[in-house]
Amino acid sequence: MMALVLSLLLALATGIGPEDFDRPEALAIVHLFALGWLAQVMLGALVQFVPVLAARPLAFSRLALPALLTSSFGTLALAGGFLSLDGYDIARPFFLLGPVALGLSFAMLAVMILSTLITRQTLRLPEVRMVIVALAGLAGLWLSGAAMVSTLTGSRLAVDISQALPLHMLFGIGGFLTFAACGVSYKLFAMFLLAPEAASWQRRAVFALAALMAGLMMTGLVMLAGAGSVAPLLIGVCGISLAGCALYLDDVRRLWRARRRPTPELNMSCSRVALAFLALSVLLLPFAIWQGGALARASVFAALVGWLSTLTLAQMIRITAFLTWIQIFAPLIGRRKVPVVQSLTHPRRAGPALTIWSLSAGIGTLSLATGFHAGFRLALCGLLIAATQILCELVAIRCLSHLAPPERPARLPPLILPSLMNPPHSAENQI
Amino acid sequence: MTTPPPHELDVRPILAQGEEPFGAIMAAIDSLQPGQALRLLAPFRPAPLFNVMANRGFDCADRRRDDGVWEVTFTPQGSGLADVGMAPGSAPGAGFWPDPVLELELIGLEPPEPMVRILEEITALEPGQVLFALLDREPMFLFPELAQRGHEWAGNYAGDGQSYRLMVRAGAKDD
Repeated sequence: MMALVLSLLLALATGIGPEDFDRPEALAIVHLFALGWLAQVMLGALVQFVPVLAARPLAFSRLALPALLTSSFGTLALAGGFLSLDGYDIARPFFLLGPVALGLSFAMLAVMILSTLITRQTLRLPEVRMVIVALAGLAGLWLSGAAMVSTLTGSRLAVDISQALPLHMLFGIGGFLTFAACGVSYKLFAMFLLAPEAASWQRRAVFALAALMAGLMMTGLVMLAGAGSVAPLLIGVCGISLAGCALYLDDVRRLWRARRRPTPELNMSCSRVALAFLALSVLLLPFAIWQGGALARASVFAALVGWLSTLTLAQMIRITAFLTWIQIFAPLIGRRKVPVVQSLTHPRRAGPALTIWSLSAGIGTLSLATGFHAGFRLALCGLLIAATQILCELVAIRCLSHLAPPERPARLPPLILPSLMNPPHSAENQI
Repeated sequence: MTTPPPHELDVRPILAQGEEPFGAIMAAIDSLQPGQALRLLAPFRPAPLFNVMANRGFDCADRRRDDGVWEVTFTPQGSGLADVGMAPGSAPGAGFWPDPVLELELIGLEPPEPMVRILEEITALEPGQVLFALLDREPMFLFPELAQRGHEWAGNYAGDGQSYRLMVRAGAKDD
């Protein structure tokens, strides 16, 4: 969340416009946003959620805090390192240090997630396999990114950046973030819509396509090392994305229709907006790959800001409230009257903020597609206002500010969810 | 069944001497016969050990006894519990529990409402009485809370995967 606000602030401060995305400072900001905000929140969510998927406690949970610190350092180092391309030689060592720290952190997280997930019973579930494919995407993201950093710093290991860049973006947005979001969303959507959880043929097909796409992109990585052209592979990836996205949306629509909750809550109505952005960015993908330029930037923006961020922000408010409630009120159930989860949030505050976010994401996408400078700056302002509002609401939820004073416990929980650092089980005595 | 009785290890004396019981626990694990479970007695809930044991292929079931001692049973996966299809963490002796005195239909309720209902009802039951609940999904956040309060549980998904069946046996009253 801090990285989100920081990256938006910097984007406004440095005067980034629709045409400026090749500038080193723009690259630094994009990585602050994609790694510092989206990747960290997604990995944190996976660490939190994988025990629920696998119905067993998180393995190697002590690695969580070191992984968080290393990846934060790696992100800052990488973002700083990009500035060395602009001639700030002092930032140069950081440029190489960034990928090293990030790789270390990703490896720790992969160990935690995989050793929790991989058991005989869970591997059959398509959503579990989806998360495993997403980790392969993360590996691809890192490899392609590290290869480009190595090229830009002038080391012996060099690749063709024009070939590596589309692959890197597809790994990050599609192979890692979108696959992970899809895998987690099935369970979340079923829970919040009160819909039956049983898997469908669409879900298996989405997994099969995701695995195929990851395979194609990995092949692309090998070809990159052999200096081949990845263009034919990208056409395949494009087709698979369109088909996979259609199947995924159809599966979510099925869940939506089977829901037992007549009026969906705020988090789910905002998630629908996010799904619309997913469709938009995938529809733009063929143009992005063939034409590049403005439409490519619009597609990336729609995916990162419209799809992944809207989904995360909407669910984050709901989940923070839920986990805070569990942490504080679960021990009191049956012993005294406990408030309902909804009383921890204030929909009048979160609702408008999420609406501003979604509208700004739409304006931003449109401005990038048309090269409209003022529109893009306006969108950035809107995103910053919305993000600040949501951050305040999250703090309010953690502080139980919306509860009437008699319902508040004597001692408040720490502001940062400790469950992000320690899973719920290990917060007790050590043996 | 020909499964040997659980091997019991009381780590309280070791902890009282200010020593680490981890080595003794691992030695006890290594000396288990095939299929044999380990019953651990500790003055607190040894949560970090659950990960270690899960990685070594053991399911665990924990409860706080009336005297405040935590009794944790580690059962090798693929023996006993898995045969009767109960979820990991289920109490091993659930097959011998009395018939439920209360049945709760909790389908279609929004989390955490099922958890609230179960905890409210179980608190009102006499020690040893059993309640049965039918839910949409596995109540992940309920299990640590039940263990903390000294209640035992056993549960699994119904054959069609559409609902989760849960039995809870009330422990000692805590207030």
